[in-house]
Amino acid sequence: MTTTALEQELKEMIIETLELEDVTPEDIDPNEPLFVEGLGLDSIDALELGLALQKRYGITLESEAESSRQHFANLKSLAALVESRRQK
Amino acid sequence: MTFRRLADRPWRDRATTDTIAWLPPEADTPSRWLTATEWHARIGAWQQRLLETPNTSGCWRLFEPDPIEFSAAMIAIWERGDRVVLPADNQPMTLSALDEAGVALGPTEPGSESDRAGSPPDHPPQWHSRPLPDIAVSLYTSGSSGEPQRLDKRFDQLDAELATQASLWPLSGRLVVSQVSHQHIYGLLFSILRPLCENSPFSARACRYPETLYTWLQHCQATGKRMILVSAPPALSRLPEALDWEPVSAALATIYSSGAPLSKDASDRVHERLGHPVHEVYGSSETGGIAWRVQQHAADWSALPGVEVSHDEDHRLWLRSRHLEIPDQWQRQADLIARTPQGFELLGRADRIVKIGGKRISLTAMDQALSALPGVERAQTLTLQRRDLRLAAIVQLSPNEIPHDHRHHRDTVKRLRRELAAHFETPVLPRYWRFVAPWPTNSQGKLSAEIRQHLFLDLEDRRAPRWLGERLHENGWQVTLEVPEHCAYVDGHFDGQPVLPGIALVHWAMQQARRLFTLSGEFESLERLRFPQPLLPGDRFEMTLDYRRGDGTESLRLECESQRGKHVTGRVALIHRQARES
Repeated sequence: MTTTALEQELKEMIIETLELEDVTPEDIDPNEPLFVEGLGLDSIDALELGLALQKRYGITLESEAESSRQHFANLKSLAALVESRRQK
Repeated sequence: MTFRRLADRPWRDRATTDTIAWLPPEADTPSRWLTATEWHARIGAWQQRLLETPNTSGCWRLFEPDPIEFSAAMIAIWERGDRVVLPADNQPMTLSALDEAGVALGPTEPGSESDRAGSPPDHPPQWHSRPLPDIAVSLYTSGSSGEPQRLDKRFDQLDAELATQASLWPLSGRLVVSQVSHQHIYGLLFSILRPLCENSPFSARACRYPETLYTWLQHCQATGKRMILVSAPPALSRLPEALDWEPVSAALATIYSSGAPLSKDASDRVHERLGHPVHEVYGSSETGGIAWRVQQHAADWSALPGVEVSHDEDHRLWLRSRHLEIPDQWQRQADLIARTPQGFELLGRADRIVKIGGKRISLTAMDQALSALPGVERAQTLTLQRRDLRLAAIVQLSPNEIPHDHRHHRDTVKRLRRELAAHFETPVLPRYWRFVAPWPTNSQGKLSAEIRQHLFLDLEDRRAPRWLGERLHENGWQVTLEVPEHCAYVDGHFDGQPVLPGIALVHWAMQQARRLFTLSGEFESLERLRFPQPLLPGDRFEMTLDYRRGDGTESLRLECESQRGKHVTGRVALIHRQARES
């Protein structure tokens, strides 16, 4: 799977999981922050997203969780995390 | 039991080697324990800072996310004989609303985390004979009117509550790890004051994520420590099953949850994964702790020792409690309860206060803040039971602000959320937005529960349009609709150019018509149907439906128009079954 296809898949996962009713995949800029500014996600979303990554890709976030949340900074960093750590 | 009252200043005569706090392992730094001597130096540091800061008000506004710095600063303030004012968060508007309340301490940058560089340098503490202040802390919470409400707590109120908890569930020297903010009463009592009064260490960092909790449990397991977890429903209801909790769960001693009721499902899952039941505490900033339960034993709540619970015929809760400002007087509360054989159950609230992700929010305050924004004429917020509980907003914008397409809609939502973010924390900002014009009402002039449900119907049904209101028009109705971005009818949804097929519009027209008119006929044919251009996801449009009835036939003239032009024109002929059969 190419990176862009993975990014697309992650965009769809974010929209579905977090029920972002008026957001389309094109609205998510891969370099824009996912949290607070940018897409406007919050602390509850961070927990939901962690669960979704686990379910979909078998990724157990590394124990040093604070730093693993840095992977959630934007879509590019999230895709890099999935790329390097996916089990399925 | 080693409980000592705050009034007896249990922070002073600690053995120098006593461990006050546990500093969890960080990237390159192994974990370690903070001794009483080191902690006293932090209290002294804050005492110096207070000495150097001009303040004649006797109040200090403290927002400090670091538990060690927070506890040291709080004690330094008390030792001066001054009062601690705790803002609930550090949103700019929250802080400016409290500008009268003393001098601010803690990180100065709004929204910022603890600022170690800005903390004062170590200094030996000074123990004077100055009496403690009458009021220990003032908390702020959302009042029913939408205005922040100040709640003063005396030492005897806090001590009564801390003593109750110590006798029910002694900490016994175990490590207290918190997943909640100590700027609120629950976190303040459970994660800071209880450890101080019961001589148990607390974690020097909040444990925000399940993976962090896992690592810390592993650490406790390896070092023979046992942990007490002070948590809340948002964290407890999202414990990943993929983590293998079983080997580390023995390091856990007790789990507390407060802030909102935990669902039975979530409670069972926590019990199953962590191997311990959740002790839920019910209470509020106004009332302190009221009752507790363990759902695996009973769903009902039992009053805490020293708390008497009753209700009136409207089911309003009445309390007499040592945790209240006036301890011997029955006082009516905003919560609704019903008696059960073993205690009571919660029925909700009599006012418009809700909890989103554990954060208390007045819908009245949100309505007011939203209505005051530029371009907003009227607004009403409500909760939607989706992904737990989230806020939705019905907003009447001035006519030139109404978004007509996806791009404009997104920009409007982003702008409104950004402007609200000055007043509220992100999780409580509305997630679902309906832009109406005019204000949708029923025949009694009310935005009824039925209308509210109609406005969010598309969330339940992926094939439904987003309904935004309707009005009488010549022989029929004009309905304002939007094409939901994730509508099941939208073709090529995740491809380049998604559009709504024309036939979906005809289907929607028939659905609306069946609701608005008493159609007795069945679909016969489509006549002179034209689809000049397709509707795109996010487009807002007017659907005009004119109804004509003749001999044995009915027809529906249909027109859909957006700002970009017409999307469908034509006629749907209906025929009565009797006519068809004859």
